[in-house]
Amino acid sequence: MIKFYIDGREVTAKKGETILQVARREGIYIPTMCYLPKVKPIESCRLCVVEVEGVEGFVLSCQTPPTPDIKVKTNSAELFTHRQNIMKLYDVNHPLECGVCDKSGECDLQNKTLEFMVNSQEFTAKDQNRKIKDWNYIQYDPSLCILCEKCVHVCNEVIGDDAIEIEYGGYKSQIIPKDAPTLECTFCGECIAVCPVGALISKDFQYSANAWELRRVPAACAHCSAACHLYYEIKHASIDNPEPKIYRVKNEYEFANLCGAGRFGFDFENKAVKDENAFNNALKAFKKADTIKFNSIITNEEALILQKLKEKFGFKLINNEAKAYQKFLKKYSEFSGRTLYSADLEDIKNSDFIIIFGTMVATDNPAVRYAMTVSNRKRNSEIINFHPMEDELLKNVVTKFVRYEVGTEEGVMAMLANALLSKEDKENIDKEWFEDLDIGYLSAESNVGEEEIEDVLKRLTRKRRVRAKRSTLILGEDLYTHPRAENIARLAGLIDRFTDFDVMIIPPRTNTLGVSLICDLDEEEGEFVIGYNTEGDFVLSALGDGDLDMPALNQQEGTFTNIDKRVVPTNVALPYEGYVLNDIARALGVSDKEYTIEFTKELPKEKGFKAIDFDELPNYFTNAGQEERGYILESNKVAISRERVEEIEELPEFNGIVVYRCEPVLQFNPFTAKTHQLNFSSELVGSKQFSIAAKLKDGDEVVIKTSFGEIKRVFRIDTSLKGTIGLLETFDMGLSYFDILSDYRYQVIKIEKASGQ
Amino acid sequence: MMSLEQFKSRYVGSQNYKLIEIEEYPTTPWGKFKRVVKRTFKTELFVGLKIVFMEMVRFNIHTIQYPKEKLPIGARYRAIHKLLRLLESGNERCIGCGLCEKICIAKCIRIDTKIDENGRKVPTEYTINFGRCIFCGYCAEVCPELAIVHGPDYENASDQRAHFALKEDMLTPIDKLKEQKEYPGFGAPTPEADRLIKKTPLAY
Ligand code: SF4
Ligand code: SF4
Ligand code: SF4
Ligand code: SF4
Ligand code: SF4
Ligand code: FES
Repeated sequence: MIKFYIDGREVTAKKGETILQVARREGIYIPTMCYLPKVKPIESCRLCVVEVEGVEGFVLSCQTPPTPDIKVKTNSAELFTHRQNIMKLYDVNHPLECGVCDKSGECDLQNKTLEFMVNSQEFTAKDQNRKIKDWNYIQYDPSLCILCEKCVHVCNEVIGDDAIEIEYGGYKSQIIPKDAPTLECTFCGECIAVCPVGALISKDFQYSANAWELRRVPAACAHCSAACHLYYEIKHASIDNPEPKIYRVKNEYEFANLCGAGRFGFDFENKAVKDENAFNNALKAFKKADTIKFNSIITNEEALILQKLKEKFGFKLINNEAKAYQKFLKKYSEFSGRTLYSADLEDIKNSDFIIIFGTMVATDNPAVRYAMTVSNRKRNSEIINFHPMEDELLKNVVTKFVRYEVGTEEGVMAMLANALLSKEDKENIDKEWFEDLDIGYLSAESNVGEEEIEDVLKRLTRKRRVRAKRSTLILGEDLYTHPRAENIARLAGLIDRFTDFDVMIIPPRTNTLGVSLICDLDEEEGEFVIGYNTEGDFVLSALGDGDLDMPALNQQEGTFTNIDKRVVPTNVALPYEGYVLNDIARALGVSDKEYTIEFTKELPKEKGFKAIDFDELPNYFTNAGQEERGYILESNKVAISRERVEEIEELPEFNGIVVYRCEPVLQFNPFTAKTHQLNFSSELVGSKQFSIAAKLKDGDEVVIKTSFGEIKRVFRIDTSLKGTIGLLETFDMGLSYFDILSDYRYQVIKIEKASGQ
Repeated sequence: MMSLEQFKSRYVGSQNYKLIEIEEYPTTPWGKFKRVVKRTFKTELFVGLKIVFMEMVRFNIHTIQYPKEKLPIGARYRAIHKLLRLLESGNERCIGCGLCEKICIAKCIRIDTKIDENGRKVPTEYTINFGRCIFCGYCAEVCPELAIVHGPDYENASDQRAHFALKEDMLTPIDKLKEQKEYPGFGAPTPEADRLIKKTPLAY
């Protein structure tokens, strides 16, 4: 703790904090143009200068940590002139187009030009011919760019695409795609978000509304389990149509991130009116049914209503994807001693050593990828990726890739546990089991060489020697649906309990964690199935193609339990006129609540939820960047199971044409597929090698025989892929998409060319 | 006599006005009584009547025969709005900045904008709800393009409030471009504008 003074006020800095950070935390204003809290200080604007008593000249507050007892002055006549001159320089040749600029009203350049009272100009420079660039979802106008470099830094230090850079050329400098003629990236749109001026903008939004006309609805992204904080921005659709419409999504870009699906995939609402007939049919169906089948893209409150329906009427609750996760988590906790996994995204950001296993994380859960990028850039962390396929998107952050054969996850986990656990621990846990482990066999079958595991250990030791802070093991969706999932979970539990590794078990869908905590799930379907956003004999659907309409998640208020084990609130962005699940529950005598959110405080306490009213849940970030959203679940102690880890089964082999169920960048499920900016269809994607093995040409239309039936796809060669495993995209399969999630993600398929070719 | 130039100038403070001496009002009952007597017997009434009579026999009549005759309207009169075009190109002046929409205290302006084929922002529709407009003139004052202005047409009785309210009602028809007059009212450049403006240095 360092005590010092800003403008006469006594403040204290933590170790490593800069003057600016302390000032912001304390609510003291220091103007900046290039400061972005989530990346390292950029130091390009020099607006953040302050005076320090006894120090000659100005000090850059964004990069200078205070020394004890210094007296900092944030304002003086000299500082004002200095800052005014900087703003004048920024304004040289800046187009006078605030009148049409998308950024007007929330533009840092506009605001600070006014703040520093620039009403005349003394500086000049010869203007350049600068051309507007069209980069798919993004437009870049170099004449508006002030070269603050925020976009470049966020892309490199947080996202990990490293897709843009500065082309240096004095006054001609501009932002360009890195090593490519045009921008090819994951289109997270973070560069748009951080750009302080109108240089980088969303093409879809361009010129459709002004910043001040839009109403902000704070919410949580509904597409994956990160449930990132976002704002839906709403305005009436047009002069003839007073219905509200979402124009764009924005975020608290200073501290939090969004991926492209969250940013561009926002209009997945379901327009519906009260259809009494359909509602009565639904009630009849509920009387007749013995099973409710659903998926995890629902709120905690809805999950609780379903659980209550089960308790009253004895419905079987079927959600195989959440069931698999629930079982995995349960076994894990019986061996780790805690109900919940130990790591969250903040832990990943602060890790020095990360093992990621069983997930194509850049598309499965972009937030985890961003957290890994941050750890790699900030702490120079070691990141080891275990997967059958190398992920091109992780090439900038993964320091070592370990390939294993499809299906051998149990063996790989055993090798990992064997390597990470100490000798004494192994003896205490189950000496015999570890002695019986045939590492030679596992290594041969999984194709993970013993020397590779040794290398991983060596890297770990090396890291520990320099900085023994935090290690994290991240587990993904491939493992939960593996036939030997429970044994894998046991080993993960042991690693968590006995080593200094924290474990993260990524929830595979938006609210899988919430559902698996709230609902008692069954395995066997009954005779008559009500499908809630899945197929069934009577279908309730937020996709708008069922027997009764349901609101989509941008039309609902409620909470999600996200990857951080945090219960986060989301709000109604667009109105919904039809019936909701609570109406059905009321009609069936299960709910006495007027609104679904009255269930928020009734979420099960024994599972770690708290009795807090929905309206009491906070949903913001503090000045210092602290996330104040909802609350964090209590992770309770669990009695350690007496059970032994099972013997490793013979490792399976996958011969033939193998595909991996994996969605492309920007897509997650039928809801993202429905939005107007992400309206593309799914494909079968493979490497050159795969195309040869499967005898396919780029653009071939094929019929694929899979475990879940025949589907049609267009085949596309992706030259960035390696190996012989194809990627099977399924996001646009409508309701049936949710039926296939419980299958193991790899499968051997049969491919035929579509007839007529 | 005041020149027209002077009359139009909005810089009231800097002109030479002649102050009229006004007698103090009586405050005591006696003073008030004296004033009544004075006014009654000073035949002021007949002076007025004489003037009226003289003008009448001379046919120098000062009322006009509305609606056959109309008086010219003052430059700052604020009636139903007009949307102007650029005189040279005929393009619409409005750039869709939305400032009028924002400033309107009756919240009666709505604009839809989009990007056009040339990459410019254009208002696709522009409406003013004249049932709510209070003709305050803020929209014309704030408009940086002098695109939305008040017109002189005060005869806007109609059986529908919605009339006159769409873009096509307000926009100068392209074939009437020649007849479009520059707006001199609120928001227009002041006569001093040229003198007050500072030039930005340019490098070539
Ligand atoms: S970037 Fe800012 S200052 Fe520049 S035109 Fe746009 S709103 Fe105006
Ligand atoms: S594009 Fe925007 S964020 Fe990037 S350097 Fe220019 S002004 Fe900064
Ligand atoms: S899809 Fe996931 S990572 Fe992307 S914005 Fe939504 S919650 Fe965040
Ligand atoms: S005159 Fe006043 S009330 Fe009428 S449209 Fe303009 S700003 Fe609105
Ligand atoms: S202020 Fe003028 S230019 Fe701006 S939208 Fe209104 S009419 Fe158009
Ligand atoms: S904020 Fe410190 S240099 Fe820009």
